[in-house]
Amino acid sequence: MKLSFTLNGEEVEVAAETGALLVDLIRDLGLTGTKEACGVGVCGLCTVLVDDLPVSSCLYLAACVDGADVWTVEGLARREPGLIQAFAEHEGMQCGICTPGQVVAAAALARENPGATEAEIREHQAGNLCRCTGYQTIAASVEAYLAAR
Amino acid sequence: MPEVFRGRDDARAKASGAARYVGDVSLPGMLHVAVVRSLLPHARIAGIDTKLAEAADGVAGVFTAADVNPAPYGRSVRDIPILARGKVRFAGERIAAVVAESRRAAEAAAALVEVTYEDLPAVLSAEEAITPDAPAVHEEPWSYPRAAVRPGDGQNMQSRVVHGSPEAVEAALAASDHVIDGTYTTPSGHQGYLEPQACVAAVDGSRLRIWATNKSPYRLRSQLAECLGLDPASIEIQPGPLGGDFGGKGSPMDIPLCAELARLTGRPVKLVLRYTEDLTATNPRHPARIRIRAGCDAGGRLTAVEVRALLNGGAYAGFKPLANVSLHGVEECTLAYHVPALYLETVIAYTNTVPRGHMRSPGSPQSAFAIESALDELADLASLDRAEFRRRNLVRPGEPSVTGKVWAEARGAPTLDAAVEQARLSQAQAPPGWRRGTGVAVYAREAPGMAATSVRLIPVQGGRIRAEVPVPETGTGSHTVIRNLLAAGLGVSAADIDVVHVGTGDLPGDPGVGGSRVTVGMSEALDRAARAWRERGGPGEPVEIRSGPDAGGGAPPPAVSSYCAQVAQVAVDLVTGQVKVLEILSAVDVGRIVHPAGHQMQIDGGTVMGYGFACLEDLAEDDGQVTAANLGEFRLPVMADIPALRTVLVEGGQGVTSANVKPVGELTNVPVAAAIANAVADATGCRIRDLPVTAEKVYWALRDRAEAERRQK
Repeated sequence: MKLSFTLNGEEVEVAAETGALLVDLIRDLGLTGTKEACGVGVCGLCTVLVDDLPVSSCLYLAACVDGADVWTVEGLARREPGLIQAFAEHEGMQCGICTPGQVVAAAALARENPGATEAEIREHQAGNLCRCTGYQTIAASVEAYLAAR
Repeated sequence: MPEVFRGRDDARAKASGAARYVGDVSLPGMLHVAVVRSLLPHARIAGIDTKLAEAADGVAGVFTAADVNPAPYGRSVRDIPILARGKVRFAGERIAAVVAESRRAAEAAAALVEVTYEDLPAVLSAEEAITPDAPAVHEEPWSYPRAAVRPGDGQNMQSRVVHGSPEAVEAALAASDHVIDGTYTTPSGHQGYLEPQACVAAVDGSRLRIWATNKSPYRLRSQLAECLGLDPASIEIQPGPLGGDFGGKGSPMDIPLCAELARLTGRPVKLVLRYTEDLTATNPRHPARIRIRAGCDAGGRLTAVEVRALLNGGAYAGFKPLANVSLHGVEECTLAYHVPALYLETVIAYTNTVPRGHMRSPGSPQSAFAIESALDELADLASLDRAEFRRRNLVRPGEPSVTGKVWAEARGAPTLDAAVEQARLSQAQAPPGWRRGTGVAVYAREAPGMAATSVRLIPVQGGRIRAEVPVPETGTGSHTVIRNLLAAGLGVSAADIDVVHVGTGDLPGDPGVGGSRVTVGMSEALDRAARAWRERGGPGEPVEIRSGPDAGGGAPPPAVSSYCAQVAQVAVDLVTGQVKVLEILSAVDVGRIVHPAGHQMQIDGGTVMGYGFACLEDLAEDDGQVTAANLGEFRLPVMADIPALRTVLVEGGQGVTSANVKPVGELTNVPVAAAIANAVADATGCRIRDLPVTAEKVYWALRDRAEAERRQK
């Protein structure tokens, strides 16, 4: 199956097997910033933007991105340097395996609800697990990013 | 000493997706592995039919026990087979491995491997395992290399450790004014690291290269060498970050299998577990049943404590690293207190369930829940304030602890006082109609001894310094701590130092991450490295340091302890039993803090993990199968769940080495559960002795009590 879509702002055309998942398609293209853990849409590690909406790419059929606009953490890091800056400055990570998903989710929040309160941030990021930090610095990173935009 | 702190050295790479983990490694010609696992907890393998799988698209080979090295492996006891031989001992055990051109092809073919089982009676709990007629999990567990048991110790015994005298305790309890006798149980749980276990292995002539989610690369190298009969020098464990550990990534896990598959196929192989495999077939936390008997005099002084712990060790003991195959946290569970008479027995049993391993301060969360709940109950019997009762019994300066060591200082009292005072200042609001409660719990641990580690400093262009280290960054911020310690020791800016994790071929050795030892062990090595750097012959010369207990240098320094006291505030809905944790305050006894943001995250992350243990997490099993087999069923705390977290740093503590540091990674996760259970008891009068504290348990406890009160009238 041939798919054409924009990936991080560039037009791409790729072949995908029937039933292939978006997370595998993206990672096979060398964009390994998108991670996978739970495989059931719970942990948020594999979050990417499809037409501006955050989706769990482990549950998303690759076929569904035909004609869509897809952004991964690599593209967002270039497009939104302030986002990376906020996570670096507030140390919104420890092991870092959940961080790309947190960053993508935060980018989605910035579009959906740029004036989000702290409670709204915590509710929004609830789809992204972190086992290391206790979440305080992640919340602070997202808050700082929204405030600086 | 300029202390120019900067942020984490890995922050940008991690936030932008550029950081590469084991799962991101790809080698030319690499094949992918899928594992065929046992469906039954205990069965004889009557046959394995691999024909269909071998014929499937893209399959390079299907391998069973007959193809791989028969030597069992392990961290201490060598009892884990690379692939099950003859029988399976838990549901999830590796039986065969399929190697194929893609992960998808490997997984599809693995489903075609047909295993014929002859079901055997299974032993599914520790209680059952130690009964005389229990089925044998292993025929001769004492015959494994480095077994901690002997014939006659019991058929299903992994270990039995005893401290103190039961007679002295009986006599002291008989003479006590108040005695509590309670049994406390905690469920299995999972480390919950979010990077699945993964391994890439490549054989190239006589050289074996390994990329693996393993935090102790030098130990892994010797474990592999021993199991596979290889020269350690021929094995290179490659450097790289880990996506979380919490104790779960210290064992060889599937790495010996991958090494064998790379040899058998002649191509690099990669195995990344599906998270269901992590939950059902790796090395989760030991479920525990702990009986505490404790007595005190009329003045609230402890007279005696008896601890009898029974833990489910699962099908293999090889995931525990200590030579006595026990969990030191259980042995040290009364460390915070002066206990005149102590008897402690801790038994770990083999069962036909997933093998258990270490999880953040192994044994401590379980035993602290038991001890700190029991002390609350005893304080109530003695009609004493629960914090005051603890204060009267904390180890005092100069008093030896239960390990027999006299600490450089004993700061239990100021730490407890700080927690109680600060918590009093913020009375969290309960929702209307809910009952508020406050609970306190205390934990102490000793800093580890010096570890044999190594470090190399290399001058590079532009006045920068490359610091090569043997420890992987598991997420704790250890590389940033190393950078900051080195900057202070050398009197240079942290901005001029690059900390680089190197492979096992590049430095002499290190015991790996664990036991809160990295900051402590590295601080000594960096101290020596800084001295050697100043005394070296010329500015272009590198410096290499080996440090540790054998590296010379006088009498051992006095033992250092760290205390953590927590106060939990909860609200309980008396109608439904629902518990809301409003706030957890942690007072932490600290020395010098080398990387403040990282230090705080160890405190907060630990507290949240403790909250999960207290209120949410239960790696539930049914009939020998882990049923909480995905992260929807095994629920970790999310950002919206967590209560208000407050920290009080009790500063000015005396730490280890000239860096004056105290470990912090395994403190705040420990007392939380008891603090919350104690707060629930304070709010409702109902004592929950079984974790997690769920609305259902509180509801039934409230109902049972109401029923009992009705009957009394």
